[in-house]
Amino acid sequence: MSPPASPTSERLWTRGSPWRVVAVPVTIALAAVGAIAASRVGVPLVFGALAGGTAALLGVFALPSLSTRRVVVVLLGLAGLGALRHASYSGSDTSPLLLCWAAATLVALLLVDRTGAEQVKPLALGAPLASRSGEVFRLSVTTAVIVAVAVVALGPTLTQHLGRHVWPGVDPSIGDIQSASTTLRNTDELDMTQRPHLSDRVVFTVTAPRPEFWRGETFDLWNGHAWTQSGPPATSVPHVGDTSVIRPEADDVGAFTGPPMRQTFHLESGFSDVIFAAPSPVSVEADRLVQQRDDGTASVVEGFGTGATYTVTSRSILSTESSLRAADARPVPASVRRQFAQEPTTTPRVRKLARDITASAPTTYDKIRALEAWMGAHVRYSIDAPIAPRGVDVVDDFLFRSRLGWCEQVASSLVVMARSVGIPARLATGFVPGTRDALTGQFTVRERDAHAWAEIYFPGVGWQPFDPTASVPLAGDTSTNVSWLETARNHAVEFGLIALALVLAVVAAPDVIAWARRRRARRRSSWAARRLARLERIGRRAGRARAPSETPREYADALAVHLHDARLRTVGETLDADGFSLVGAPPSARADADAVLSSL
Amino acid sequence: MSGPGELTLTSIVLFTLGAYGIAAGAASGEQGVVAVGVFAFALFVLGIIWPIVMLSGVGMEAWAPADATVGEPHDVHVRLFGRVARVELRLLDPPGEWRVTASPANGIIPRVPARRGVFSGLRFELRTSAPLGVFVRSRVMHVVLPMDQAVAPRPLISAAPTEATPHRLYERLPDGAVAVTSTATPGLGDSVRSVRPYVAGDSARLVHWPTSARRGTLVVREHEPPGIVGVALVVDLDVTFDDAERIASRAAGIGRATLAAGGAVWCCTGEASGPVSARVVDQRDLGRRLARACAGPVGAPPSGWPVIVVTA
Repeated sequence: MSPPASPTSERLWTRGSPWRVVAVPVTIALAAVGAIAASRVGVPLVFGALAGGTAALLGVFALPSLSTRRVVVVLLGLAGLGALRHASYSGSDTSPLLLCWAAATLVALLLVDRTGAEQVKPLALGAPLASRSGEVFRLSVTTAVIVAVAVVALGPTLTQHLGRHVWPGVDPSIGDIQSASTTLRNTDELDMTQRPHLSDRVVFTVTAPRPEFWRGETFDLWNGHAWTQSGPPATSVPHVGDTSVIRPEADDVGAFTGPPMRQTFHLESGFSDVIFAAPSPVSVEADRLVQQRDDGTASVVEGFGTGATYTVTSRSILSTESSLRAADARPVPASVRRQFAQEPTTTPRVRKLARDITASAPTTYDKIRALEAWMGAHVRYSIDAPIAPRGVDVVDDFLFRSRLGWCEQVASSLVVMARSVGIPARLATGFVPGTRDALTGQFTVRERDAHAWAEIYFPGVGWQPFDPTASVPLAGDTSTNVSWLETARNHAVEFGLIALALVLAVVAAPDVIAWARRRRARRRSSWAARRLARLERIGRRAGRARAPSETPREYADALAVHLHDARLRTVGETLDADGFSLVGAPPSARADADAVLSSL
Repeated sequence: MSGPGELTLTSIVLFTLGAYGIAAGAASGEQGVVAVGVFAFALFVLGIIWPIVMLSGVGMEAWAPADATVGEPHDVHVRLFGRVARVELRLLDPPGEWRVTASPANGIIPRVPARRGVFSGLRFELRTSAPLGVFVRSRVMHVVLPMDQAVAPRPLISAAPTEATPHRLYERLPDGAVAVTSTATPGLGDSVRSVRPYVAGDSARLVHWPTSARRGTLVVREHEPPGIVGVALVVDLDVTFDDAERIASRAAGIGRATLAAGGAVWCCTGEASGPVSARVVDQRDLGRRLARACAGPVGAPPSGWPVIVVTA
């Protein structure tokens, strides 16, 4: 709105000028964007925030010849561009800063408009404007709720239906490649004598209809301390446009007959040359040259960088306990038995243990469940478990000595013991489904979600994942070490709804209390007062409110003309008689007036 | 009656951010970019819809005095219905100063009429850009007044007609032409009507000595009251607009001055209902007659009244 005069910095310096208040949220907005930019380039956040805030203050206060309103709006626009620029590839680490920017922008807009209105002369004898802070608070809450609903409703729809499913992202730098975790790198070997370093950093997000293990690689050769792949090196996959067709393993029945599932991966990490996918991928849409191994896993020749997006279609059979038990009726293909069920490299007591545990289990499925149950009862999970000494069989050390380990030891033990009793098994690595964002529907996968699990072959079904780690209890204290920040992050939606309910309760409290008081006052008031209030409501609805100077009778007469209902004159007389005579109106007159009012 | 409103610089900024964010976010699949874009776009849309919805629920009543004069300020009482946290309003015809209030509210707006005439309603412009300042929604409302307002012309300062005034009788000829045909002289107010006994306080100059001598008691003269200084104003507005307003203003000035001097005024005008020729009672009556006057045949002046044909 254009106020009568353009607000300039001259007004800004005036004592009590509302434009000074506007400068606060503008500074916060630019400081937030400055901090986001700093996090992007690796500078301490405080420097970015200081730079942004200083720029805002200079813009607002040091341009005396320009309209403060325009300067503020332009600064907010620049901050918005900065937020857009740095909202990409930022992961969730900068989400609080983005929220801070959004809130500050909203408050700044509200204050700018309010301040403009305050420059206009008030209407003589008119109703005063609500207090500035109260208005800004109420409108901020209301607007934030509406905008949040819009963001939640439109965001996923836009990205899923309008968005491209392939995006090149940023080319990875040497530093990105070197700092990438082993799970993100396509390797031939998984060394069990190295402890993984897991953090909360977001690796990628996945848009998928259901949670799955996001598999990267499988390993079939165990030498006692490391897993390797026995197959030939990965070969390039022919592609049509961005789509590369993956040739599944010939005996992986689910990859041919299972229902398709489409997943879109959005890389947040700096580098990955592994194509993660729910088992078993049959096609990959990516802007890079895709290659595959015989086990059906895929990778890219040049790794993906931050922001890269690729889409995978997978097929697998959704099995049940009965279908897996029934699978034993079919023979295991010779090729599978030869590659995945050969006698593993391990100690005799491990083989004996496997045989003892599975002795009474009738089917392959029951044997695997028995092995999982035994591990659940006898070993403990700990990421701080001691590393097995050199030259010692890692599985033996884990099962008989330390009985402490993380997913790699647990899953490896299951695979080795399964093979010891002739069950085709292999080790798979990748990530667990991650945290599903209740607002966006995406799965957010972090470094700490890196995982290893076993895949067991069932004839007629194909490879099925088994996660023995899920059965293994945590070592030591059973309490979780989840920080309050992580708890808040995991329950952001619940906390947000509770906070919203509290805010709404606080905002609505005065109105509710006033309404309750009015209601109580109505109950205590006389018949005439209650009926007069009703008459006033009828009049207001009809567009003829009662003037302060009008007596009930005058008002009833006026309404009789306005509504073309002469009966209202009698109502006015009854109200007068009841309100001002000693004996009150006769009951019959009251009843008549009630009837007239009810009919309206 | 309502107008559309106007977009502000804020709307351009938000629309640009929103469109760019949604397009770039949808293309790259970046939820963060989409969220920022949708945030900006939602503010843009909300900032347009909110004032439209708010202002559509506002109703208005107004009361203005039945008589007003061009150029003389008077108060207009207004009542706003509907809940709006912030609304600005001003009078149109002529455009007045903006005033801000919350609604519902009662209030007073000063108004200086700019045009002569009889008005059954007033035009107000309401606007609001609350809460985000994205879109200034404005609405022009024609509010019917409980009773018509007669706005008299601004009187041009004139002297009351005196003896020296060239009095002319006015006559409208059959062919419509106007002619001055004669003059007349009003009563002077110095002729003796009778005598009466002297009472304390009577001026010695009024003592009628011959009668006092004859009767043996003091007798004083009683005079006839002074003759009425009257004028018949012929206000013919069948001219150009500017001349018509000038004529009306001049007629108002002469009429006011005459009435203020205790004289009588006869006004001959043309109104929408036809020619009117009648004596005006007071200044308010004069104002109403001139407010209603319009181009058309004017009424004939009474015979025996000095006539002034008011010209531009």
